Amino acid sequence: MGQSAFRLSGITKEFPGVRALDDASLEVLAGEVHGLVGENGAGKSTVIKVLAGVYQPEAGKVEVDGQLLSPATPANVHAAGVRFIHQELHLVPHFTVTESVFMGQERRGPFGLAKREMRKAAETFLRDTLGLDVSGNRLIRDLGTAERKLVQVARALIDGDAKVVVFDEPTAPLASNEVDIVMGAIARLKAQGIAILYVSHYLSEITDICDRVTVFRQGQTVGVFDNITADSAGDLVFAMVGRNITDMFPPKGDRVVSDGLQITDFTDGQKFAPLTMSVGKGEIVGIAGLIGSGREEFVDTLYGLRRRKMGAVSFEGADLTITTAAQAVRSGLVLVPRDRRHDGLVLSMSVAENVTLATLEDNAVMGLENRNAARKATLAQVQSLDIRPPNPDAITRLLSGGNQQKVVLARWLSTSARIFIFDEPTVGVDVGAKAEIYQLIEELAGEGACVIVSSSDPVELQGVCDRIVVMTRGALVGEMQADAISVDDLVAATTGASSVEEIRNAS
Amino acid sequence: MSDASAPTNLLINIILRFGFLIVFAAFFALFAFWNPVFVQGGNLMNIVEGSAVLMILALGMTLIVATGGIDLSIGIALDFGAAFAVVAMKSYGLDWFGAACAGVIGGSIVGLFNALLVVGLKISPFLATLSTFFIGSSVQRIFTNGGGPISHRRMPEEFRNLALGDVFGVPTEAVIAFVLVVIYFIVLERSIWGRRIHAMGMQRSAAVVAGIRVNRILILCFVAAAATCAIAGLIAAANIRMFTPLSGFSYLLDAIAAVFIGAALHSRGRPNIPGTVMGVLFLGMVANGLNLMGLNFNTKDALQGIILVSALALAVAQRKARNG
Ligand SMILES: Nc1ncnc2c1ncn2[C@@H]1O[C@H](COP(=O)(O)OP(=O)(O)OP(=O)(O)O)[C@@H](O)[C@H]1O
Ligand SMILES: [Mg+2]
Repeated sequence: MGQSAFRLSGITKEFPGVRALDDASLEVLAGEVHGLVGENGAGKSTVIKVLAGVYQPEAGKVEVDGQLLSPATPANVHAAGVRFIHQELHLVPHFTVTESVFMGQERRGPFGLAKREMRKAAETFLRDTLGLDVSGNRLIRDLGTAERKLVQVARALIDGDAKVVVFDEPTAPLASNEVDIVMGAIARLKAQGIAILYVSHYLSEITDICDRVTVFRQGQTVGVFDNITADSAGDLVFAMVGRNITDMFPPKGDRVVSDGLQITDFTDGQKFAPLTMSVGKGEIVGIAGLIGSGREEFVDTLYGLRRRKMGAVSFEGADLTITTAAQAVRSGLVLVPRDRRHDGLVLSMSVAENVTLATLEDNAVMGLENRNAARKATLAQVQSLDIRPPNPDAITRLLSGGNQQKVVLARWLSTSARIFIFDEPTVGVDVGAKAEIYQLIEELAGEGACVIVSSSDPVELQGVCDRIVVMTRGALVGEMQADAISVDDLVAATTGASSVEEIRNAS
Repeated sequence: MSDASAPTNLLINIILRFGFLIVFAAFFALFAFWNPVFVQGGNLMNIVEGSAVLMILALGMTLIVATGGIDLSIGIALDFGAAFAVVAMKSYGLDWFGAACAGVIGGSIVGLFNALLVVGLKISPFLATLSTFFIGSSVQRIFTNGGGPISHRRMPEEFRNLALGDVFGVPTEAVIAFVLVVIYFIVLERSIWGRRIHAMGMQRSAAVVAGIRVNRILILCFVAAAATCAIAGLIAAANIRMFTPLSGFSYLLDAIAAVFIGAALHSRGRPNIPGTVMGVLFLGMVANGLNLMGLNFNTKDALQGIILVSALALAVAQRKARNG
């Protein structure tokens, strides 16, 4: 340790209208795991792209292994041994593990492709270097998300020349029990002397595995922390947002809960068995469950994105027939989808276009748009939710994760919806924005809305919900009062380590 | 990055920013220089008039491309429009207006069939409209016993005027095209339906989650596009006083090209009506200019192809440069 694996200094990078990086610096030492944290839009992904040679900065130096790269290009950065694990999984579902690992870098033998050799190499690498025992003949689509992530890592590292590996939010799409798999792999890489830059919004992960942490705020390096321990989280948050966030979760208000949404014997006939649950007006009900528990399919079916086989849904005693999302929206039931970049937003449209997409009629006369009215309506939402940049004409693609999520929220808040489903509401969202979203959920319930929060984050569910139902293997297995249980109880219930009955009896 | 290259950068920037306009102007100057007839008012009017049918077809194509699809059967809708109108007059003695309505209905059938395949059977627009193209072509051959034209010498004067008449000196077909351009512009670029169409074309799943009734929009768009193409068919039939089977096909590539030139001109790459109009006029100008140069048929086609590809490449580069 001690020697620099790479160093970026004095980096300034501007985009039209924003200075994404402003004299930022970042140094990772050989052999360490280095964390990079900051609010949404702080410039983390941008600095990574500068290191990757994808963006050319207006000013600043990029040095890898003591060598100045001017300019850094994807080719010379790769040659210097820096590898990137991007947030998105670019894997083909019907390829095998071996094919995926060697895609674009196939090995050839005397008789064409050296298939057996490649399979051996892929399996050995995954087992010895990443700690994943998997057959090279398995198909990607049969793997869990964490396993796919490791295949992606193997693909980047299989040539054996990696000296530095950069992970951009690797655990964002993972369920809590899958996170350990990826963490384990990172520990192994470190043990082999590979330096790691680790970007995440999950501070517990950061304090767990990082030796040092750099904090970015508004494009600047505001601190480099040594001696990271579990207690460092508070300091990191303070450096990130410039204030203390003592309570992530708002206090639960005294809400009057009355009859609202009633779901009876509801099933899609495939992924989840008939289930019955209710969500009162003014109540926040959580749905806990691992990937594959049927939680996601239930939410999608409720919203009309998948076909329901049977069951009844009613609101305030009146039947609610929902077979398409359009019907759901018109009945006042809205969804903040888990994959906001794919399902939540039309990324190449402006903020105003996205915010007003469900309320086009309100800003139109005889079908003709009144763009000024739409902009005004958007601006009001942008200000009340503190969306940054506060520009209705900004292209949604270029907003950071937290701000994109707020755009989705702004759209539904402009409608007169009474039932809100939040599916993974804070994936990829920074601490500050997270607290704001929780506050907003609480406010919605306070105003008498029915709120469902479906999430893979047990801390979030326990903190924000009144009641939590648990799904495992396509069945609703029980429900618990959130304030009667601990986060660990919730994890135990979702993984099936203990039954809901046991937990309820114990508390 | 460095200052030394700033002037060249500036030049490149100017070319990229106004590239397409420059190319447009350059060709205009070239054709004018080659043959002064090119710039005479009469010839310019020829270009506009000669572009009317393509313009109308390109509008329909723009609509479908905006929904995120493509329509390979616009020529069939044109043929059906012409056939229904001619048969309505010839065999059923309908007046010009009845015939026009019959033509539009005939075209709409093609659109409905597309909608059935795309929405009902969930076939991709490319394959669905390709099937429609094949089916529609063979229906025409069967109906005409192998593809002979159906002529109607005693076509009512009013109907003939769709192609040959004028409104205050402006050819009727140009007026029709202009009116349709205005309607399409309002719907696609200024109305809430246009907003929804663009949203679903850019990101279907997000549009669905936002509560947009994408299937209904698709059906309406396929029918509207085909009905529009049928109007082009009326003009074509009026022009030559007959229905010529399979004549719509020849416009397909030009219509697609015009739409994509237009989309490339848009700062965010959206298919859009002003862009399509530019694309159509550009294609019309090049065809007319090359004609006046007196090149032989084969050279002309090749040249036209090369110009088209270069224009597209430039327009795409232009968009990239704008978006940084
Ligand atoms: N290609 C681009 N064009 C214009 N602006 C951009 C572009 N990419 C990023 N930005 C802006 O630069 C700033 C920094 O963005 P960046 O993606 O680096 O943030 P981040 O720290 O990775 O945030 P997150 O935690 O949400 O991933 C933001 O304000 C963003 O809107
Ligand atoms: Mg990022």
